Amino acid sequence: MNIIEIKNLSKVYDAKTIPVYALNGINLAFSEGEFTSIVGPSGSGKTTMLNLLGGLDSPTGGEIMIDNTDITGLKSRQLIDFRLRNIGFVFQSFNLIPVLTAKENVEFIMQLQGVNKEQRDRRTFELLKSVGLNDKVNTRPNKLSGGQQQRVAVARALASKPKFILADEPTANLDSKSAENLLEIMEKLNKEEHITFIFSTHDARVVAKARRVITLEDGKIVGDVSKN
Amino acid sequence: MNDFRLAWRNIWRNKRRTLLTAASIFLAIFLALIVRSIQTGWFDNLITISIQSYTGHIQIHKKGYWDDKDINNSMVFNDSLMTLVRTTKNVDKTVPRLEYFALSSYGKQTKAVMLAGTDPGREDALTHLSRKVIKGKYLDIRGNGILVSQGLASFLGLATGDTLVLLGQGFHGVSAAGKFPVSGIIHIPSPQLDNQMVYMNLTTAQDFFSAENRITSLSVTLKNPDEINTTVTDLKDKTGTGKYEIMRWDEIMVEIMQQLKIKTAGGMIIIAILYMIVGFGIFGTVIMMTNERTKEFGVMVSVGMQKTRLAFILVLEMLFIGLTGTLAGVVAAMPIMVYFNIYPVHLWGSMAQAFISFGIEPLMPLAIKPGFIVSNVITVLVIVLLTCIYPIRKAVKLRVVESLHK
Repeated sequence: MNIIEIKNLSKVYDAKTIPVYALNGINLAFSEGEFTSIVGPSGSGKTTMLNLLGGLDSPTGGEIMIDNTDITGLKSRQLIDFRLRNIGFVFQSFNLIPVLTAKENVEFIMQLQGVNKEQRDRRTFELLKSVGLNDKVNTRPNKLSGGQQQRVAVARALASKPKFILADEPTANLDSKSAENLLEIMEKLNKEEHITFIFSTHDARVVAKARRVITLEDGKIVGDVSKN
Repeated sequence: MNDFRLAWRNIWRNKRRTLLTAASIFLAIFLALIVRSIQTGWFDNLITISIQSYTGHIQIHKKGYWDDKDINNSMVFNDSLMTLVRTTKNVDKTVPRLEYFALSSYGKQTKAVMLAGTDPGREDALTHLSRKVIKGKYLDIRGNGILVSQGLASFLGLATGDTLVLLGQGFHGVSAAGKFPVSGIIHIPSPQLDNQMVYMNLTTAQDFFSAENRITSLSVTLKNPDEINTTVTDLKDKTGTGKYEIMRWDEIMVEIMQQLKIKTAGGMIIIAILYMIVGFGIFGTVIMMTNERTKEFGVMVSVGMQKTRLAFILVLEMLFIGLTGTLAGVVAAMPIMVYFNIYPVHLWGSMAQAFISFGIEPLMPLAIKPGFIVSNVITVLVIVLLTCIYPIRKAVKLRVVESLHK
């Protein structure tokens, strides 16, 4: 079952002077439980694609249907609320809130959702345990390693029980051991809990683990390979 | 983690900056409160002196007298008026006076004078006139001896025991002329008054002006000056409309009030400049606190925080800094204000002498009025809220993708 359907998606920068097509007529679909990498050289449109899928940016043309909702037609407030309930984000540079502990960072999204304290506590501990950080509950980000911070970021992304997680080069700022560790965790979550992950990446390790690899070049899909 | 705790933690990310900003607010409110306390205490004292030295809290005249201070606008003073006023709630002391101009003459010198006929006992109870006598003795309740101010006596070359000739126009145009022995010389701190005042017994003045049982004003002091408006209303109700004009001290001392307003405005301008400097300081902090966290704001909005909620947290952060500085300023200023309110500053030199000559202790208490404390606190908080326009605008106009790339 498709959870995301993209129709004729385009994003043009400097449209009034010299148009630069970051994405040009993309048609794609993602189904539940995918573990997909979007690859391509710098400037190929990977990050733009993830930004549009996450409703962080608006397309110049086309449709993005997520669970039968065209997010390109949503207003700012609706879009923020949609993201809160449907999409998880993992950023390249972790982007945890520095004044919050690991637990509070994970809990933060559930608070925005209005989840009660008891449920929040239970889920936060489950998530931190699943990323192997149950001993770092009360530690602030500046006391965590890059790998640990990114694992907290994954737990945070999962906290809202999203339909899918968008990860923009999640291993780019990690050493190889931490990157391997993070990938194992995400793969495990994907296999055991059927959580959909869509990555943009340059990292060969991520590509190797992905079950579907979409290749972008000059804003167009030049490859879409599924592995069995 | 609720929004309040998050905001509180955010302000302590950069302790030094937060403390410096709070300290500037603290200093501004501390100085503003002390300055306003001294100024208000000083003005209150001046008003008290003026009230106690002559005008009283309320004056009752015949309607129209204040605009045309003519003896023909005097009013009948009888027991019924006195009883009516004295039985009014909150009335403390009353002094009837007959005041008009006359020409004085001694030897070859003449000078226009202000003649005040008064009840010696009541006058002394209200204005401590007897304490101003520097030579001779105070007014006698029955005699026709007069008190002459020092400046006037000096001009005319008068001494106690001499006789002063007074000429003028009495009630309904009757000629007024008389010779009065000088029983005492008084010193009035105001040079203008000191050059022209003559006091005499009320009945003597009424005889002189052929204005039997008439007075031009009845000065009233109150037990509780804060209830002056209620007392004025009561007096108006009792005396009826149309016959008398009942005026508050601030309507009588228009010039003093104007001077005080000008001085208050001067003080307020200094405080406004102080607040403006502090306002720019706060604004600098706001700009730094906002711009260095643009990426973080982008992350928060990305993961699902509404921009309005983000703006609310930013306002809370500034309010916390503002309230910390403000409360510290009030807490630091209050003991000083309370101390000098209970134990007023002892004046010295010529200023102290001026107070003493008015029969008032040379003390200047600092005022504590909830009004100026609250208004200063509100001013600071309004400044803080105004500086919040910047982060609110930043949050509401936030472009997530751009901010994530900061």
